[in-house]
Amino acid sequence: MELEDVNAETAIEPALQSSSMMIDAAPNVLKQSLAERKQARKERWRLLRRRPGFIIGAVIVLFWAFCAAFAQYVVPYNPFDDRDKRHMPPSADHWFGTDQTGRDIFSRVLTGARDILLVAPIAAVLAVIMGTLLGMIMGYFRGWTDNILSRFVEAFLALPVVLVGLYVLTLASQSDFLQTISFNSRNILVIYVVAVLFTPIVARTVRAAVQGERDLDYVVSARLRGESSLFIMTREIFPNVTGPIIVELTVRIGYAIFTVATLSFLGVGIQPPSPDWGLTISDERAVLAAGIWWPVTFNALAIITLVVAVNLIADSIQAVYQK
Amino acid sequence: MTKYIVKRVLLSLVTLWLLVTIVFLMSWALPSDPARAILGPFADEKLVEDFRETFGLNDGFLEQYFRLLKGLVTFDFGLSYGTKQPVWDVLAPTLWRTAKLATLAMIITTPISIFAGLIAAKFRDRRLDRGIVLTGLATSSIPEFVTGTLLAVVFGVKLGWFKAVAIIPEGTPPLEQLNYLFLPAMALAIVYFGYIARMMRAGTIQAMDSDYTRTAAMKGLSSSQVMRKHVLRNAMAPTITVMSVQIGYLVSGIVGVEVVFNYPGFSQALLIAVKQKDLPVLQVAVIISALVYMVATLTADLIIAWLNPRIRLEMGN
Repeated sequence: MELEDVNAETAIEPALQSSSMMIDAAPNVLKQSLAERKQARKERWRLLRRRPGFIIGAVIVLFWAFCAAFAQYVVPYNPFDDRDKRHMPPSADHWFGTDQTGRDIFSRVLTGARDILLVAPIAAVLAVIMGTLLGMIMGYFRGWTDNILSRFVEAFLALPVVLVGLYVLTLASQSDFLQTISFNSRNILVIYVVAVLFTPIVARTVRAAVQGERDLDYVVSARLRGESSLFIMTREIFPNVTGPIIVELTVRIGYAIFTVATLSFLGVGIQPPSPDWGLTISDERAVLAAGIWWPVTFNALAIITLVVAVNLIADSIQAVYQK
Repeated sequence: MTKYIVKRVLLSLVTLWLLVTIVFLMSWALPSDPARAILGPFADEKLVEDFRETFGLNDGFLEQYFRLLKGLVTFDFGLSYGTKQPVWDVLAPTLWRTAKLATLAMIITTPISIFAGLIAAKFRDRRLDRGIVLTGLATSSIPEFVTGTLLAVVFGVKLGWFKAVAIIPEGTPPLEQLNYLFLPAMALAIVYFGYIARMMRAGTIQAMDSDYTRTAAMKGLSSSQVMRKHVLRNAMAPTITVMSVQIGYLVSGIVGVEVVFNYPGFSQALLIAVKQKDLPVLQVAVIISALVYMVATLTADLIIAWLNPRIRLEMGN
């Protein structure tokens, strides 16, 4: 379900443009380019605020972030309290109805944002950190290092994320080794699995961006100055590829939510009694045929608003960086 | 062309070997004791030992590794922990049902998406274009199981137009089977619409803005001729790539949809395998879907090379 090729290619352009401003890394030029970079950042932020997609997406994401943090203190009912009134349709008392053990669905949907908004973004951030390191090494050193690592990245890309998730999470659930190094929380395990599976995709984008930079004059001159590879990678190239990395991060957060929701729906992700949306849809889909539509519908709408909002933001950021 | 094909197939084989190795290493990186996990902590030591012997868990690292590699050729992947049947026999019957659903989804989504992409490109930056792009962005970002659930609620339960449970009774004629398969296929089609339409739009716009299209128009070809011979042909290449990638991911996305509609495909075998901690079945399922992905992308690359002689010549060397 990805559009990696497109991202990887289009993402290089902004990096190429911004780097051409820097001719030499001499101090005064450096200072000037820092000011230019700040200017460019201001300009992008101004463009971003003018995009309705970004504003709408940001408002929705902020709403769910607020729910993730505070919903448990403001919802009308305790989302974990069972009541007698099972599977009651939406009413004035229970706006979204009640579920199979009589819990208030409205309260559960609002608090259900919590786990996924912890797990998915952390997984995406980890993947971007690891993928950036890997991609910088591949793009900078080229040759055999790149050749071998590229084959591995390609092999990883052929692996379907959800199926590998099913396999690894089942494997991990019976591994004594993981219990001993305190992987006792399923959420932490899901974070690691998703992060590792997303790393090669990020690496490929970053590699392409670094390759666009490494032969430009400022990198060549730094090499002639005798700077170490580490210095060139972190201080010279990295600041010029932050654009593609930021775009990659927002896109990855969207996919991470997508993946974690699916894994939870399939029963290997976030675990009960969490009011997680994917988990609830999985629990309540059996009663759908009996006409009890409200438990799955409101949770489905919650997932939709979150993923669409995140993708609206990602799309806007991508568009602004490509200008 | 032959040289190009050989080169691509050989590279794919290297990738296949690597990914099988990665999947195999995963089970060694997360050391587990399937015999104990399945038989329980209080099972007789003798039983546990028998289990390990039956499934070859006492064999060494290399022995198990080569057995898996050999399985790729012979399709003998050992026994399932759950049913004690050969893994391939567990998966094969479910695979063709999944293929049926996937094919139907592609048949629905391909013409609609390509048409929508063309229309969007033609009315670039107008309201219709914005609408198509935004719809595509929204539908492709929603997980397949969510789309499937909502379709089941609206068209299966509320309106009752189609079956919300896709268990097809034995002996149903093919056309009537559509009644069961339509909603799950739509759930997949809606998600893939966005990717294909957006790619088609981008490809068409690029082709329409290019010099060769301008030349074709200036030498007096009719607009339909320009469209057919110059724009479409070039706009198809990225679209085919995206579609091939989608076929690969279809295998992953289809799992959620099948579960929503209780469709007895691939995913049913997978969910049972998860419950029974049936690692051999899961392992082979991962490898098979990766294989589908690789075959799809390889085929797409070959079609693109065939469509565009420039790529064909470049890649040959």
